[in-house]
Amino acid sequence: MRRWFLIGCIALASASALAQRAVVTKSGEGKIKINLAGYRTGNDTASRTFLSVLKADLNRSGYFKVTSAKGDLNVVGSCVSGGGNMKAECQLYQVNSRKRLLGKSYTTTTTDARGLAHRVADEIVYAATGKKGMASGKIAIVSSRTGRKELYVCDMDGKNIRQITKDRSIVVGPGWMPDGKNIVYTSYKRGYPNVYMTGRSKPLSSHGGLNASGAVSPDGKSMAVILSRDGNPELYTKSLRTGRLKRMTNTRHGNEASPCWSPDGNHIAYVSDTSGKPQIYIISKSGGRAQRLTSTGSENVAPDWGTNGYIVYSSRVGGRYRIAMANPATKTLRVLETDWADYEDPSWAPDGRHIVCSRTANYRSSIYLLDTLKDSPVALLAGSVDWYSPACSP
Amino acid sequence: MNMKIFKFLFFVVLTVSITTLTGCRSKRPSADLYGSDNMYGGSIIDDDIQLNPDNMGLPMDGDRSLFAPVMFAYDSSQVNREEAAKVEAVAKYLNKGKAQGVIVEGHGDERGSREYNLALGERRALAVRDYLISLGVEASSVQTKSLGEEMPENMGHDEGAWRMNRRGVFAIY
Repeated sequence: MRRWFLIGCIALASASALAQRAVVTKSGEGKIKINLAGYRTGNDTASRTFLSVLKADLNRSGYFKVTSAKGDLNVVGSCVSGGGNMKAECQLYQVNSRKRLLGKSYTTTTTDARGLAHRVADEIVYAATGKKGMASGKIAIVSSRTGRKELYVCDMDGKNIRQITKDRSIVVGPGWMPDGKNIVYTSYKRGYPNVYMTGRSKPLSSHGGLNASGAVSPDGKSMAVILSRDGNPELYTKSLRTGRLKRMTNTRHGNEASPCWSPDGNHIAYVSDTSGKPQIYIISKSGGRAQRLTSTGSENVAPDWGTNGYIVYSSRVGGRYRIAMANPATKTLRVLETDWADYEDPSWAPDGRHIVCSRTANYRSSIYLLDTLKDSPVALLAGSVDWYSPACSP
Repeated sequence: MNMKIFKFLFFVVLTVSITTLTGCRSKRPSADLYGSDNMYGGSIIDDDIQLNPDNMGLPMDGDRSLFAPVMFAYDSSQVNREEAAKVEAVAKYLNKGKAQGVIVEGHGDERGSREYNLALGERRALAVRDYLISLGVEASSVQTKSLGEEMPENMGHDEGAWRMNRRGVFAIY
């Protein structure tokens, strides 16, 4: 009976993306069973990598359970490679109705087998649920694995790690440009904390004193940034075209930190300790009076405003940092279930369902994926070195 | 551009004259301002005294071996009474013209968010700078550099280590 309901939902979903909400949130237990047993690959490494990464992505998406038994959906097709190139053909069928939801063929280089699997996984997620997937996203992270704090980028599954900076300095608080191509970060490579962007040697901000927490607006025109040039750390916006500064806060007795933009670019959420403890406030981009968002917990820090409208942040409750999400429009608040470790620096994944954050246990920090719906936390990057300050691409 | 320089010079002159006028009062650390410990997270920055317009071209480093660092309480950027003498020693040295200037490096312990600690470290450095200026040191010869929790003195994870890490370091140039 439940299967019929589920399949009914899937059918509706393919017709209308809006109807989809029900599949995921209401059916709770029921994941869409997806069968890839009929998918053929060559015996080469690239093709086999493609299939195993695709299966892992579908399971990680939260919407599917990859099965070899009879499922709700079948993926058929083949993947072959030769001469440094590979070709994958993919068709997605509803088992009962035999309706085809997706049929595409892709070509790429064999070195891009993982990237191709991520793209196909997102297409399957979209075709089956009408929702945006996260598999093609990237995570910017900081690690001290070379002994210096450098910027790295990896895929959403924690694989394909690349070192981006080689400044032998300190990188703090990376964030993405809205086009997902470059990363804005704070670095001491020229002695003082300045804000830089990858692919550009001139700093975006290098005023006297502190330049930190640069966050570029969704339209790419303006950057929210913390500066102390006027004698105290305050929130400013800086036009990326003219360099014109607008001072947003005036808190002689307080610190400001960690600004982020609302999805429509009209507001900025940030941390301020004017109440005595760090809490999250929201201010209009045109300035004016800030509204305090958080009141529970002894500290609320590191906000990230998702396209789903929720601000996710790190909340210190009972001596532990936990991940909380609040919707400023509906005033709803939820603290995610996690274990005894400290969870900090949350960032919305591109699917608007998952959150990537750091988990610190025994003074070692690693990168975890949390599901806001039901799946258990998954370690993406862990080991004998510290990984922290994750930021997901849009 | 000229206007900018003019504004900056005007500011320096203003700062110096304020310092001179209030000189008698600020020779001694005021217990109200620098010695009290009654505000959680509160810090005492007298005035918003502007920093150099751009940090490019400023001295990047200095000699850290000349003066002992100023230590701070948890989540506070207040220069305590017991620590004030360290700042006064630096002011005396600079006022005698023994060095060009100082970079005050503000640090914090590992607790709390990295970005918040960056702002807190800057406030510690600014509180020390403000005190130096009140003691007659020229504003343009005091630079601030916050290192947040990024460069601990002690790599430990207990109260003893944290206490050592909440500091303002003088790098003389």
